[in-house]
Amino acid sequence: MQEKILETAGLRKAYGNVEAVRGLDFYVEPGQLFAFLGPNGAGKSTTIDILTTLREPDAGETIIDGCRLGAENDRIRGILGAVFQEGVLDGLLSVEDNLKIRGSFYSMHGKALDAAVARAAKITGIEELLKHPYGKLSGGQKRRCDIARALIHTPKLLFLDEPTTGLDPQTRRMIWQTIGDIRRESGMTVFFSTHYMEEAAAADYVVVIDHGKISAKGTPSEFKERYSKDRLILCARQPEVLLSQLKKRGLPAKRTADTVEIELSSTLAALPILDLCRDEISGVEILKGTMDDAFLAVTGKELRE
Amino acid sequence: MISFSLRNLKLFFKDRAAVFFSLLAVFILIGLYALFLGDVWTDSFPDVPNVRGLMDTWMVAGLLAVTSVTTTMGAYGIMVDDKSKKIERDFIASPVKRSSLLGGYMINAVVVGILMSLVTLLLAEIYLLAGGASLPSPAVLFKTLGLILLSVIANSAMVLFLVSFFQSANAFATASTIIGTLIGFLTGIYLPVGALPEAVQLIIKCFPVSHAAVLLRQVLMEQPMETAFSGAPAETKAAFEEFLGVTYRFGGTTLSSLASMAILLGTAVLFYALSLLVLSRRKIRT
Repeated sequence: MQEKILETAGLRKAYGNVEAVRGLDFYVEPGQLFAFLGPNGAGKSTTIDILTTLREPDAGETIIDGCRLGAENDRIRGILGAVFQEGVLDGLLSVEDNLKIRGSFYSMHGKALDAAVARAAKITGIEELLKHPYGKLSGGQKRRCDIARALIHTPKLLFLDEPTTGLDPQTRRMIWQTIGDIRRESGMTVFFSTHYMEEAAAADYVVVIDHGKISAKGTPSEFKERYSKDRLILCARQPEVLLSQLKKRGLPAKRTADTVEIELSSTLAALPILDLCRDEISGVEILKGTMDDAFLAVTGKELRE
Repeated sequence: MISFSLRNLKLFFKDRAAVFFSLLAVFILIGLYALFLGDVWTDSFPDVPNVRGLMDTWMVAGLLAVTSVTTTMGAYGIMVDDKSKKIERDFIASPVKRSSLLGGYMINAVVVGILMSLVTLLLAEIYLLAGGASLPSPAVLFKTLGLILLSVIANSAMVLFLVSFFQSANAFATASTIIGTLIGFLTGIYLPVGALPEAVQLIIKCFPVSHAAVLLRQVLMEQPMETAFSGAPAETKAAFEEFLGVTYRFGGTTLSSLASMAILLGTAVLFYALSLLVLSRRKIRT
């Protein structure tokens, strides 16, 4: 068992009477792609603000890379990189100037700084944008520059607060490719928040947060296994007949429009059922459980945009 | 801290609108002076020889005092912007000391204030030379530069204190415009201080920025005053100086230049201390 790069227990934060974070416990292992999934207003950004030393929690113990949050913030700041929801680079300055200024915050100078800028630009594919003013770039280009800024000091732990919100699907895919490249090259731990379930499905570990509390956690496959079922869809000439036949056998079948649907414990459980009613059916389809189903089951609601 | 100051400098000078608005009060003053104020004051003293040249230098001294306030205010606009655009979050999440950030903003304001004052001085000298004045002596120039430095440091301290209360760029822009307009009256550069009622005079005399104007007037107007009042009795000259705010009188005593310098230095120390107190108490916001 490797040592955890981030571990938090009993994390709480309230704004006046509003409790944004109500006791979170979780940990992140080195090299993990860790997804923090939840609807807007669930407390994701507040949690990331606390973990990136921007806000002080009301209660809770957090250890990041062996350092205690609150007491050793400067050391923590040196090993974390953060991509915030809003771009934080200067629009009037060139991307290169921006990266150099931010790099100087990590006591990098001269050749070491130039090399750091070149490396961050290469891994995020923004070499051609270096001379352009940040403010003139497109949304996706800006986002990659934001990531390059967060990587300037090769952090051990990279936080991304909703990195793809507001981007078109093509750009979103590109951003994820970039993040994948970074992980492949450096083995960096990546902690990201999102409200897109398909993004969480690609993570190593998912924590679902709602109303400031963890409502579920696990790997995506555990999620699907635990919270979503495969479904067998049967098309029949006489659905009513088929339905009563299946019910007689004690199977949990239900009628949906002109088909009959049965929840399966596993995909292969479909075989005996199909055998049973092969004469009645005209078509068949097996739907695999998705993260969407799992999420619906966990929170009882669809994620709000 | 140095690279952070350079970042602020680049940001300020790349933002043409910010540069323009930081000089707006200066443009307004020059406009008013060229249109009618100059003539009004020139006509008020028909007995004084070469009064136009004298009033020109009077205007330039006031101009430099105001420039040191409005341009440093423009420079601190970057600090307010960083806050309101949440760029500051990026700084706080980095292992950079908050004191070096604050130092970076302060260095930037002082450098911007000095550079812009030098540009103003250069343009003003060109205007004076075109009007028939002679080149200032090296001694005058040297003293003027020293006073610009002192006035920028003192006034930027007051501006920093003011800026430390602003979180939103819009509110700050509005405040800057109002202050830019009022500052001309508060330093007694639109109207000579002697033309105002007693109570207003007292307010102006207590306002530290006006002491920068007083000191600059003493240096810049020395030569023209000598020429204009060479044959006149000392009392006439003293009365004229008091009317224009070249010297301040409190009760029966005339304030020395050293006292005015002390007031500026005291202002700098007081307001830097107050600003640090306000800024260090501020919690991290959204």
